[in-house]
Amino acid sequence: MENNIKKTEIEYPYLTKPVEIYERENGHKIILAHKEGGLVNISSWVKTGSINENDANNGISHFLEHLMFKGTHKHKAGYFDKTLEAKGAIVNAATWKDYTFYYVTLPQGPNGEYFKEAIELHADMMLDPVIPEDEIGPAFQLGDDTVSQKRERHVVIEEIRMRQDQPWTKIYNNTNKHMYTQHPYKRDVIGFPETIASIPRETILDYYKTHYTPNNITTIVAGDFDHEEILEKVIKEFDFKGRANAQNPIHKIDTPTQEEQYYELKGKISTGFAITGWLGPVANNIKDNIGLEIINVILGEGQSSRLYQNLIEKADEPVFNVVASDFYNFKDGGNFFIQANFKADKKELALNLIKKELQKVVDGDITEREFKKACKTLKCNFAESSERVSDIAENIGYYMTVCDNLDLVEKYLETLDSFTLEDVKNIAKQYLQIKNSVTTVLIPE
Amino acid sequence: MKKIILENNIPVVIKENKNTPRIALCFYFKLTEPEKKAGLYTLLNRLFLQGTSKRSAEDIAIELDENAIDCYSEMKHDFIRFKLQCLNEDFEKGLDILSDIIKNSTLEEFEKEVIKLKGEIPAEMDEPKSKAMDGFYKNIFLNHPYGHTYTKILEQIDDITKPDVEEAYKNILTNSPKVISIAGDFENKDISELMKKYFHDIKNKKETITNIPAPTLEDNKIVKIEKDDAAQAQIIQGWHVPTIYDKDYAAIMVMNTMLGSSGLSSRLFLELRDKKGLAYVVRSSYEIYEKAALFNVYIATEPKNIKTSLEGFKVELDKIKNVPVSKQELENAKNNLIGKRQFFTETNLQQASLMAFYEDKGLGADFEDKLIEQINKVTIEDIQRVANVCIKEPSVLTILAPSEYLKEV
Repeated sequence: MENNIKKTEIEYPYLTKPVEIYERENGHKIILAHKEGGLVNISSWVKTGSINENDANNGISHFLEHLMFKGTHKHKAGYFDKTLEAKGAIVNAATWKDYTFYYVTLPQGPNGEYFKEAIELHADMMLDPVIPEDEIGPAFQLGDDTVSQKRERHVVIEEIRMRQDQPWTKIYNNTNKHMYTQHPYKRDVIGFPETIASIPRETILDYYKTHYTPNNITTIVAGDFDHEEILEKVIKEFDFKGRANAQNPIHKIDTPTQEEQYYELKGKISTGFAITGWLGPVANNIKDNIGLEIINVILGEGQSSRLYQNLIEKADEPVFNVVASDFYNFKDGGNFFIQANFKADKKELALNLIKKELQKVVDGDITEREFKKACKTLKCNFAESSERVSDIAENIGYYMTVCDNLDLVEKYLETLDSFTLEDVKNIAKQYLQIKNSVTTVLIPE
Repeated sequence: MKKIILENNIPVVIKENKNTPRIALCFYFKLTEPEKKAGLYTLLNRLFLQGTSKRSAEDIAIELDENAIDCYSEMKHDFIRFKLQCLNEDFEKGLDILSDIIKNSTLEEFEKEVIKLKGEIPAEMDEPKSKAMDGFYKNIFLNHPYGHTYTKILEQIDDITKPDVEEAYKNILTNSPKVISIAGDFENKDISELMKKYFHDIKNKKETITNIPAPTLEDNKIVKIEKDDAAQAQIIQGWHVPTIYDKDYAAIMVMNTMLGSSGLSSRLFLELRDKKGLAYVVRSSYEIYEKAALFNVYIATEPKNIKTSLEGFKVELDKIKNVPVSKQELENAKNNLIGKRQFFTETNLQQASLMAFYEDKGLGADFEDKLIEQINKVTIEDIQRVANVCIKEPSVLTILAPSEYLKEV
């Protein structure tokens, strides 16, 4: 066993054993979570996403995520996917504002052989990617039809195109861009086709070296296994060979707009889409985040929510097809949203009705019954996220990477239990003023 | 896994999983009569959570949400199923609400539900992929209830009356064959007693004869859908193929895995995405219905790549039909398929859902074990044979793209 490894434990709701957290001297963290069943999940979360991007390299975190699957010095491109999928594995990765994570979920196999091979291949991919030029494909000018080697650059550009056809994504991106003024969060994680078409391999490799460092990586293993044996294995395979640690930049936290902003886009569609967004608290301000999660349940989650009941079920006339709210947590400040799809000729009415519902909440019109319902829902979310090894790992990954603190899992339920209706009202008033909101609407041309 | 039969002949299949916080239950109602007007069963399904003789729609929504109980119904082409999922301690409360919904729905919100559905369909059709899929299914199941897509519903919904929906409700409540499945940690609960208490008075029809005819496809068809501001073309091609009751079911599943249903190592993914950079999403799928099945290939790509993508599909489809697969590739595909089935049956709800699906089809809730045996027996010759059975004319090809790119297709 490696020396100077720090161990802590936390009680994780609905799991039968405590979750173990190991921090190595180099800063690499390893988390072991016990969950009965034949499946195991191994994932590594890297503290990088659009948070570390600028106008020149926007989209590089996500592009790198694609390219991490393109082979190592030990195994050429395709070996990882083919070998693990031939054992029934689900392999994939995802990039968001604060993180990029890579995962494998698979059956353990005879004597845990598949599992151990997955740890080896996963560690190899995380630590030794080649990112070969011929897999990236040559840089090209967008619109140039003569490009013959269409490789991963084109795959990512197709992913961008796919998103351009999604009405919700269009208005989310516009609202997001205007909610943040300084912070890198204002950029869309996937970036622009022009950047992806031209970004050189060297820039991508440099980006990898800067951010994929021991202190930026948390490796999580969830399933039913011998902890000592697997901890040894992960330590052995994750040999960083003295790789220097990253100095992560500290970004200035954005403040909300002081004047309501409104943007209108047009498209070849037949209904209207709208998103109104507010800036929320930083992720480890657990009290305010829970407050906004409670408000989210009351206002716009599920069929008993205010928005659904008052604007769809009990509407005087049909205006909305969809109306709901949502809440995202980000390290340097999350977002609260109300999203709606409405009849195209009822735009003004739709926006006014949403504002009216929101104002009631801001003015403190929330009942004890609604508050209790929301608390029960939030508690039950833990039960839900403890049913699958992949969900357990994702929840842990979020707390470790975005909040920098897994203790918050324990604190979450304590804080929730200590919440009062008065707290919720104060948080609504603090964060959800109309003057602090940004709205984007997409309507037919 | 065990099975009990209630006095009314409803089979209940049960699987106990210790240390799981939420119990899941599925209740299947097989649809044995073809939908007379497109949207009839969709409306009935939507009206199930819209009020009973004891509870208003709002009461139901609040009672469920206050107890964090997931309870909803889903309409598929051959069945309506209810799903219930809640913390173990709330199971009986969940059963009380579910049995009330099943037995006492009033359908009073009919007019409102029609208006809501008519609003939601255009919103859904604003997504190019949904629009393309709608055009595809409407045509591959032309003049058949399986082809009652959203736009077909919009055409016929105004002809549906409340008595139509009431009749359909009465019919499925009394005449449809039913199946219940449960998975979870039962602690001290007597599941048998609970089922008896809440569901003994529901009528069940034992025979599973369905009057839904088998759909047919006579000729090749190309469906073009214009969407001038689409950044991507949506291309889907499909064939009618043997369904779950056929001896080739397992072999078609393996062929589908190999070709494009699974992950990052399938042929379509490697050839059309990794090597040619044509798409982010490219895949094949094998869809099961009671009286039919489809084998489909799908890609979303820049509109100027339509021709290259179709050629790419053709090369891969011809290859699997004409060139025997290697032993290694076959073994990989089988292991991939079998291993992944664990992933898709990880939660209590997934398990309950699959058990009821098989039981409803008359295959037995433990069909999964037999299926794995059958998958293991699939040979190289089987793959080539079923590829030739499945991928042969006629087919329906649907392409959504800006009009200028549709001219050359």
